[in-house]
Amino acid sequence: MSASSSSQALEYLEGLPLSTHKKLYEQPSTVLAVFRCMLPHLAKSIVMAMLYMPSSFPTADLDAWFKTSARKEKEHATFTLDRLHIVTPQRQDDGSLSYTMNPGFQRSLRQALEGSGTHRSFGVPATREESGSNRMTTEQLDEYSRSQWEGILYYLVSGAAGLSKDAIDRAEVGPGTKKLLHAGDLVRTVHGSPRITKDGFSFVLQETNAQVWSLLIVYLKMVNDLGMSETEVLAFLFMLGSLELGQDYSTSTLSATQLQMLDDLSAMGLVYRSSKNAQTFYPTRLATSLTSDSGSAMSASSNDIAQANQGNAGPSASANKGFIIIETNYRLYAYTNSLIQIAILSLFTKLQHRFPNLVSGKLTKESVHKAVQSGITSAQIISYLTTYAHPQMQKTVSYIPPTVTDQIRLWEYEGERVETTAGYLMREFGSDAEYRDVLNYASALGVLVWQNDANRCFFVSQVEQISAYLRKKKENRDVARTR
Amino acid sequence: MNGIDGSDRHIKTEEAPPPSLLAIVLDTNPHAWAHLSSTLPISAALANILVFINAHLASGNGNEVAVIASHSHKTTFLYPTPARPQPKSRHGTANGLVEMNGSGNDPETHMAESPNKYRPFAVVENAILRNFAKLLNETSEGHVQATPTTLIGGALSLALTHINKQTILHAPTAASAESTSLAALADSENAHVDRVPLTSRILIVSVSGDLANQYIPVMNSIFAAQRKRIPIDILKLAGDTVLLQQASDATGGVYMKPERPEGLLQYLMMAFLPDVTARASLVVPSAGGVDFRAACFCHRNVVDIGFVCSVCLSIFCNPDLPDDLCLTCGSYLSLRSAVTNPPALIPRKKKKKKKLGTDSATPGANTPVGSGTPMHP
Repeated sequence: MSASSSSQALEYLEGLPLSTHKKLYEQPSTVLAVFRCMLPHLAKSIVMAMLYMPSSFPTADLDAWFKTSARKEKEHATFTLDRLHIVTPQRQDDGSLSYTMNPGFQRSLRQALEGSGTHRSFGVPATREESGSNRMTTEQLDEYSRSQWEGILYYLVSGAAGLSKDAIDRAEVGPGTKKLLHAGDLVRTVHGSPRITKDGFSFVLQETNAQVWSLLIVYLKMVNDLGMSETEVLAFLFMLGSLELGQDYSTSTLSATQLQMLDDLSAMGLVYRSSKNAQTFYPTRLATSLTSDSGSAMSASSNDIAQANQGNAGPSASANKGFIIIETNYRLYAYTNSLIQIAILSLFTKLQHRFPNLVSGKLTKESVHKAVQSGITSAQIISYLTTYAHPQMQKTVSYIPPTVTDQIRLWEYEGERVETTAGYLMREFGSDAEYRDVLNYASALGVLVWQNDANRCFFVSQVEQISAYLRKKKENRDVARTR
Repeated sequence: MNGIDGSDRHIKTEEAPPPSLLAIVLDTNPHAWAHLSSTLPISAALANILVFINAHLASGNGNEVAVIASHSHKTTFLYPTPARPQPKSRHGTANGLVEMNGSGNDPETHMAESPNKYRPFAVVENAILRNFAKLLNETSEGHVQATPTTLIGGALSLALTHINKQTILHAPTAASAESTSLAALADSENAHVDRVPLTSRILIVSVSGDLANQYIPVMNSIFAAQRKRIPIDILKLAGDTVLLQQASDATGGVYMKPERPEGLLQYLMMAFLPDVTARASLVVPSAGGVDFRAACFCHRNVVDIGFVCSVCLSIFCNPDLPDDLCLTCGSYLSLRSAVTNPPALIPRKKKKKKKLGTDSATPGANTPVGSGTPMHP
């Protein structure tokens, strides 16, 4: 599944322990980035309402603030806030339950909004002496990041698409990035040439922004081995996301870890440095769009980087995000001359003709089966086709003809009959009322996967919040009993 | 095998909420702020509003803001900074053509970069403060003495035009189809933004009292906003007026009159920050009882019982029109029957109404039920 970019990062952040969160929330830029792109919409409203509140927020008041019809949304918002340790319910002295905000988060978000403090976490712009005479333009930076990122994608797909050995060598990928791709199990080396894995396929089919995050998350998991602090790395990434494109920033205030990161990130094309010892660095569009959602109009241009143009497409490359036309007879026309796009398409399409600006082919049972066997799911194929549907296709409500989507799914289901979800089985409830109550709570949270009313058991994908809920219920019952 | 039947194929889950445009109409009436200066000086209010703007910008990646000052003698954009009018467009439409310069990139506005401030916030903040200082410098004593009120009608129409323009810019295919060339049609960026429409709302931070003299322009703006589904939120720091209550009620906005103006920021953050998307799940405060009385077209008085032109629906407070002609449309109105036969009303009830009309021109939410004034539940 091609998860949206921020949800991936959110998942990673949620997995971090409280101590790491506490350290992270010291930096206003981090807090602002977490607020801007990680939180659900209603969670933002809750946080902002509580930000300047002198006391804690009683749960009863919060419940009253939400419409009764919006219970699901409310649970989702408080659930996320709780997992990120931003707003947590706490029992007050008088026994009532109320929400309190993490003081570090509160202080940092206030500083970020007011622009106060001396934290210098939004990047120190380079002085005139440091930046020197030859400044980079935005176009140059885009070109640089595009070529770097394409190199990575090209390296990934080159083996599977059956390109020749010298074509693989043309992809200029640094040893550090190669190591990263291997560590993330996106490629494996088979017979000396890179071979893309199942994860690699889903990686390639994602949007650029999501790709950057997946690679960065692999990077974050590696940093502990490299002797860097995870919090510092994360804080630096969030800072990068808040920088201004086309502005150069000074390296003089950066720590050793951050300087080390600059090297790694410039290999990926997230930052540009004129030389290894340059006193300044430029964030590229890949970096500055890290904390923007793909849904916003402002970041629409960042997807253009996915448009691999091998030199001659030139300026038009920035204007055509969608290029695939697919007909109800499974014929596919792709207006592209990028080798990467063609290579990706060839993973699940039987390509037949190639013209200077167009390739045509057909989705066949064999080609889709081949893709499924090598680990691509039908959902990935459909989401790729949807993401890059031609503007003409986007005029209809479902971009791809329903017959095609259904057939792709059917072809996949021919081979696969079982779907697995990791999670927890809840059973042995005392009464039907209790079962119903917990079940409703689970479905409100959106973690319910399967239920069986006859046997009073259900299956959830995540259990932390449910167990907290059960504990709370038990406490309430005990309190009621002692009175 | 449930996934195969394709029942979910049309569901396009757009998770990210649409970008939201917030137009703030800031009432900068010097008289009213002078009254408030002991509890909430305008500098403190402006600082709070700037934090609120930052919070709004942070709440969504595509969020935009526009700030309009409604001063005593003119209304002007504080943000985005209006570009200097082109010499060509001087004649005729001097105030009609206002090019917006939202990025603030011209060299003179290039401010010292602060590493402690998120840059988009700093850009907005600097522009607002600079334009506000400019507005105050341009205000002469004569301007202040000329009128004790503020031009809320003009500011409201500026906000509406700005919102309209931004909406068109966000959905180019919908409104300006003929101007888009074939190349632009194929441009996927247009198609992309077409899918995320802009949701807009207006927030009026009002301190002035009686606005009945602008009844007609404000009412027209309200109807325009209602038609465009733009909620008008009212934060009433001082004064009281029927008109703005009606504005928030008619457009489904929030109406609030804080008891303690010094807690302005908390009011803003809690009640006014949630955008249209979030309000769908929240309980929003509203005016409660709304006074629906209108102001007459001849003397701008708020009237309980008026006389309505049967042709153009203009409202007059007394039937003695010059030459028996309607002041608005010029139709001949025969009022003889109306004058000779006063409206059949129970005398006791009429007395009550008269008393109410005289002791305050604009009673607020506490208009008694059953006084004949339509009440909002």
